[in-house]
Parts: sequence; C-alpha cells; structure tokens
Amino acid sequence: MKLREIINKIFLIEIFKGLFLTLRMLFSKPVTIQYPLQRRKIYPGFRGRHALVRDPFTGNEKCIGCMRCTSVCPSRCIYIKREKTENKMIVTDYVIDASRCIFCAYCVEACPVCALVLTEDFEYSDYMRKNLIFNKEQLLKNWDEFASKWPYDVYFNKFWQPPGIDPSRWPKTKREQKPIPIKRFVEIKKEESDESSS
Amino acid sequence: METVYIILITTFKTLIYFGILMLHVAYATYAERKVIGHIQLRLGPMLVGPHGLLQPIADVVKLIFKEDIIPTKVDKAIFRIAPLISLTAALSTFAVIPVNKNWVISDINVGLLYVIGIAGIGTYGIIFSGWSSNSKYAFLGSLRSAAQMISYEVALGLSLVGVILMAESFNLTEIVNKQGEYWYGMFLFPQIIGYFVFVVAMLAETNRLPFDLPEAETELVAGYFVEYSGIRFSLFYLAEYLAMFCMSALATICFWGGWTIPPVLLKALPALGLIPGIVWFLLKVYFHIFLFFWLRGTLPRYRYDQLMAIGWKVLIPLALFNILVTSIFKYYL
Repeated sequence: MKLREIINKIFLIEIFKGLFLTLRMLFSKPVTIQYPLQRRKIYPGFRGRHALVRDPFTGNEKCIGCMRCTSVCPSRCIYIKREKTENKMIVTDYVIDASRCIFCAYCVEACPVCALVLTEDFEYSDYMRKNLIFNKEQLLKNWDEFASKWPYDVYFNKFWQPPGIDPSRWPKTKREQKPIPIKRFVEIKKEESDESSS
Repeated sequence: METVYIILITTFKTLIYFGILMLHVAYATYAERKVIGHIQLRLGPMLVGPHGLLQPIADVVKLIFKEDIIPTKVDKAIFRIAPLISLTAALSTFAVIPVNKNWVISDINVGLLYVIGIAGIGTYGIIFSGWSSNSKYAFLGSLRSAAQMISYEVALGLSLVGVILMAESFNLTEIVNKQGEYWYGMFLFPQIIGYFVFVVAMLAETNRLPFDLPEAETELVAGYFVEYSGIRFSLFYLAEYLAMFCMSALATICFWGGWTIPPVLLKALPALGLIPGIVWFLLKVYFHIFLFFWLRGTLPRYRYDQLMAIGWKVLIPLALFNILVTSIFKYYL
C-alpha cells in the first residue's frame, strides 16, 4: 500500500485521473439552454410575477380585504387600503412591493378566496424601482397579461390548496374554489364590449 | 544593396508572422472559452457569428473603444511603458522560432538562449506595472509574480539543458534536425523528465493556471494589472497568450520534433511526407495550447508556498538529475 502511494505520487496518478475526467466532460453534451432562443419548461407552481385574479364573472378583483396575506407575509411587502361599507369590505388599493418580495407564496396559500396568484411570468425586470411596486390596477393588468398567454381553458394555482393541511380546515370559499375559466372570461369580456358598443 | 534586400525581406516576413500570430492569439482566447465551457458542460460564446466565431473580433473592438483610465498618482511614463515591454518581449521571441524547414525570420546560433533570455524580460513589464501603479495589491502581485517567474525560469532553463546536450547545439533548427536522426524522431522519450519539468515550468512562466498567482483574482484583486483598463489591460493579456504560443512552439521544437514526424511513421506511410511540415508543427503547437486550457479546466490554483516548494524542491532537482543522466549517457554511448 505504501509503495502504491509512492508510485501514485511520482506518476501523478490523481492529476491524470482528473485530466481524463475533464476530457470526458469535454465530449459530453452541454446542459446550457440558449435562453432567449429556447426556453425551458416552467414547472407547475412556479412563482413569478404577482397578479390579482380578475373574477371572470364580475370583472373585478376577487380580493375581499381580509388582510391575511399582509399578516402572513414574512417580508411585509403587501399594503392594503380598504373601506368598510355597511355589509361589505371594499379594497381601494392593493400594493405589492415586488422588489422586497421573497416569493414564498405564503400570501397565495393564505388567501381564503384564492384572489392572489404568483404567475409563471418571469420576464418583468425594469430599470426603475418604482415600476416594481405593483398597485391594484397593475396587478389586475398582470393577470390579464398572464391569462391571455395561458394555453389552457382553466387555471388553478398549485398553492391555492396548500398540501399538508387537512381540507376540512380550509375556509369554505377555499374548499369550494373551482379552477378559473380563462377562455370564458375572455368571451364574457368580448360580449360586454360588444353590448356597450352596440 | 544586399543589406537593403535582407532588411526588406525580414520586414516582410516579420509582418506576415505578426499578422498570423495576432490571428492565432485572438482565436486562442475564443478556443479557451470554448474548451473550458465544454469542460464545465457549458457552451461558451455562441451569439456573435455562427457558434460565436466572431467573438474575438467583437472583443478587440470593445477593448479598443473602452475608456483608458490612468490613475492620478501613478508613475505615468513607466505605467504606459510596462505593457509594451511585456508585449515586445513576448513578440520578440518569435524571431528565432522556426515553423518549417528554413521558415524562420532569423536563424541564429544561440536561438534557445535568446528565447529564454527574452522571455525573462517579460518580468520587467510585470514589475514595472506593479511598481508604477502605486497600489499595494498591484505591487504585491508583481512581486510574487517576479519571484515566481525567476524561480521557474531556472527550472525551465535547466530542463532544456538536456535537449542542448542531446542536440549539441543552441540553434533551434539544428535541434529539430538532430531529432530526425533517431528512428522515433523526438527528444520526448529520452528526455521525458526534461519534458515534464518543461511543461510545469512553462505553465508557471506564462502565469497560467494552476500557477496563475500573479492574477489570483480572489486573493489579490487581480495582481499586477489592477490599475490597468481598456487596451492597456488587454496588452498584458496579449503578452500572456503570445508567451503561451512561444512556450508551446519551444516545447514542440525541443521535445516533439518540430515540423518533422517520426521517420518510422514516414517509412510506414510515405504519403504523410506530402503534408507540409508546418501542418505538423501547428498541430503540435495546438496540442500544447489545448494542454494549457485542459490543465486550466482541471486543476485548482496552488498556494504560494506550494508553488515555490514545487519549483525549488521538485523541479530544479529533477532537472539537474536529468542533466546528470543525459550527460552520462551522452559520454558513454
């Protein structure tokens, strides 16, 4: 064993082993994805740009202003302005500071009405920091942009029904939540615009 | 009239050599990025031109138009001269390197001594740049670079003594011709220890990984050229790549038989004789250049005391042992 170690040392066996390893790697297939030209498949539950889900039937946001997302947010980047009317809470503004967000999706999990979503849209870099602070209009616009690109008829976020929690402990609205129809929403919008124009 | 003719023909030859060398250097940077990229399962440059082939040209354009900053408190004259000294030293070595039979700018009898001597002048560029920058990091980098280059130059010179003993000449053409007298046509096999010492010392001489301590980015921001920018900075890189080509050419000439192929191979396949010698020469040089990149992609950087220990405790004794063995064989056989 001792002699073997000496021979290994004299003939630099370990260095040659390393050299052959790198030579083998030289002729194997690269793993690079040429990003702007080819894109990789996005996995379900990817956490990208924030959006507020637009209710396909009313056209407004689904948010009820319960403040659960604000209280659960670890980086405290959600600000909600709300007004109380006789029997209903009205959300006047809903701000997410995306430059502070850590993309944990706790807000999406906590939302009882499934109003918030982290879309699969990841190309939203900007030169101005204030453009990354999304207000309610911007968040709804984000949803519209995302929905227009969504290839399926319905959308259902993975984090809307958090795994590991017994479904009986979810809020009723969350338990009854159905996938959001995308195409139908587009049709409804079209009909509305047709009606208003005629 | 004769003198004018010689001057003209030498200038013409020099210009052609210069152009070809610059092209080689430009594409060596490309090849390095590609080879190391593929070793790390990446692709390397891909966007400029097909497979990124125009990347070196884009790099050159970028470096020329970059702002050239000269800090206020530097010694301006020496600061400006330093990269030029490195570059001139690296370029001058090619004057005596034969690339084919009788294809050499100047066929002098002390070619090998000249190459080693001129390669040593490159150290001046490094020391000057480090000293004139008026920066601790640059100064430390240049100091250790100087120590490294001087230590390894001893090993480099000693490793070539075996070759000189075998060839009985300092003339590089003579060394290649002498190798053709053996049936294997290379000094590589009788001088394997010398070749090993030469390769290690060559890596250290040209400041390449695993001996790139002068530009150890993580420890000493970047060593001797921290204060340099733009085209001046790239002149150092140019000098480094030229030194790489010079050392590869020297290894090819001294150990791999230059532009010749082993006479055994030529006897077995006479058709190989039709291929011009420069092709063999370039193939051997490219192999050594690839070796540089390959080692860079494999080995981590040495610690400074390890580097010195390898130079003085391993390489120089090995080279001396090689000289002893070669001399004994030469005397008795």
